[in-house]
Amino acid sequence: MTPISARPDPAVLSRLYLSAVLPCLTDLAEQDGTVVDDLGQLRASIVFSILGGPAATIRLQRGQILWEDGCSRNASVILMFLGDHHLNAFFSGNKWAAPLPVWGCWRVGLLARFSKLAERLEAVLDGAQQVLDSAAGRRLHARLSLITAGLALHALAQGDAAAQNILRSLPPGLASFTIAGEPRATVWFDHGSADNQVGWGDPPRRPDVCIVFADIATAYAALRGEIDTLAAVGCGQIRVEGLVPLAEGLNFAMERVRAYLKH
Amino acid sequence: MDSNADRYRRSHELFARAAQVIPCGIYGHASPAAALPGALPYYADRAEGCRYWDVDGNEYIDFLCGYGPVILGHQHPAVEEAAARQLSKALCVNHPGPVMVELAEYLVSLVDFSAWAVFGKNGSDMTTWSVQVAREHTQRRKILKVAGAYHGIDPWCTPGHAGLLDEDRAHVHDFNWNDLESFDRLLARYRGDIAGVIMTPFHHPAFKPSQMPAPGFWPHIEAACRREGIVLILDDIRAGFRLDLRGSHACFGFEPDLICFCKAIANGHALSAALGRKELRVAASRVFLTGSYWNSPPAMAAALACLQIQKQQEVVSTLRRTGEMLMHGLLQAGAKHGYAMLASGPPAVPFLCFIDDPSSRRQQVFCAEVARRGAFFHPHHNWFLSAAHTPEDIVATLGMADDAFAVMRNEGL
Repeated sequence: MTPISARPDPAVLSRLYLSAVLPCLTDLAEQDGTVVDDLGQLRASIVFSILGGPAATIRLQRGQILWEDGCSRNASVILMFLGDHHLNAFFSGNKWAAPLPVWGCWRVGLLARFSKLAERLEAVLDGAQQVLDSAAGRRLHARLSLITAGLALHALAQGDAAAQNILRSLPPGLASFTIAGEPRATVWFDHGSADNQVGWGDPPRRPDVCIVFADIATAYAALRGEIDTLAAVGCGQIRVEGLVPLAEGLNFAMERVRAYLKH
Repeated sequence: MDSNADRYRRSHELFARAAQVIPCGIYGHASPAAALPGALPYYADRAEGCRYWDVDGNEYIDFLCGYGPVILGHQHPAVEEAAARQLSKALCVNHPGPVMVELAEYLVSLVDFSAWAVFGKNGSDMTTWSVQVAREHTQRRKILKVAGAYHGIDPWCTPGHAGLLDEDRAHVHDFNWNDLESFDRLLARYRGDIAGVIMTPFHHPAFKPSQMPAPGFWPHIEAACRREGIVLILDDIRAGFRLDLRGSHACFGFEPDLICFCKAIANGHALSAALGRKELRVAASRVFLTGSYWNSPPAMAAALACLQIQKQQEVVSTLRRTGEMLMHGLLQAGAKHGYAMLASGPPAVPFLCFIDDPSSRRQQVFCAEVARRGAFFHPHHNWFLSAAHTPEDIVATLGMADDAFAVMRNEGL
């Protein structure tokens, strides 16, 4: 299956939302002062769960946001979705796609604050004009795009036919993607490992290939598909060190994220 | 990297300009992204014999030979003289020149199973056309190829991922080199619908060691093709004329039905060729084949001269001896510094890599260090010997390699 021929798979998209988009809330809270102010001293947790499927938990802890895989016990609110389409419709902003509040539906204030948080995340990830108008907004957009694209590799490797086709042709190895000069701006993907592990932060061992964006501006342009990345490598704006074919192939696989999230 | 910035200043300046007006700056196999960005030259200025000079004036003993075409050495006087003589008469006219006939006759006399020859400009021209001929001849759809093998840039075979449709490869299926079970599985699954099997004489994937055919591998493939009426296409673009002037199949004891040549055919002049059995002649005549420059006589004159010189000077033997000297010396030099290395591929088209170097980092540092000392090895692509490499050039190269290994060892790499 080639990227042009492959249509986005709803099951992959729902996993992207749960395991690649929602984790960005952590960085959003760390980097965006307005979010911290909005959260205040709030302590609560919200579960997003697909009936009979995967789930993720968001914990709001006094200005911090933590993401956990799976359905946490003692959650303040549990939002249930009937299937992938339901969750995908909710995350893409369809009003009719309200989740089933199986627990905590009376916590209207919490849900309203989360809704505001989600709107901010969406604006940053989508690259809304008011976000991109400022250097700080562009920085945030680049960081969150990198985190999403990196973490998305797990879901893409598990279920997207086009990404799987690309990955099959690549050598196994651990790849890391970093924005130079930025704190906590590294994501990694262990291609060929059991369960295709991904992570945000320091990789578990020395990567077989390191892809380093020289600065935020380069990362911003590269992650938006606005620059010729091969020319950028030749110019030194993107440094690729190590297992070159893995880097090149993962670049194509990560571009599948845009095909999914634009829907 | 600072010293590299000085060493390759002009290359980098040109690349910065190129990046403004040329996609990738340099695209394809010569893209810096495919080699060592910043640590190898990007642009060449001139070349002669087994040496070339980059635009910053750095000199290299060349073990890539323009990615293979240069078999007699850069600017070989007799080849250039033949091309120039033809050029003085005609470059691009309405009809082919007599040299096209002479070259076809010469090639057919060289390659024992062949009865006819056609010409193009690049390897892809010939591999893609050969696949069509196989389909036309058999009236079948499927093409079998080896996973990871390079056969060109057309959609059915490009190693790239962009701009492709599922339909482009709907009838192209991969098996694994030296894995007859995987071949037989495809044979069974698509029996009666397989038009052709296209393979290189030995497996030379980028970024990996080359693999020679295991005993029995080629005979099994050949027998299956004969039994099933499948056209066996030998993609000899890369190795052709370096292993055997009759075609690389002569080295491995089998006969294809079609053979594709390119790189070493004209010592750097743009020409490719496909030769085939007489049984495929009608199909070959039906599959349309042309290009704006494909009848241009100078490259054909260069090819005729190049092939005749190869035969007269027994270039195949020279390349083997020189390649053996190089690879033996490199293995020894590596071992002296404590590096276990793997020499793969035939000596004339060799590749060397470090054992226990899955990320290729040692390989990359080694090639960068050798380049700084004056010899060019590609870190990810097999190398090429030319008849212009003398034993003295190999000795000089081994000295550079020894220094490079010492630097690596001192730095704990």
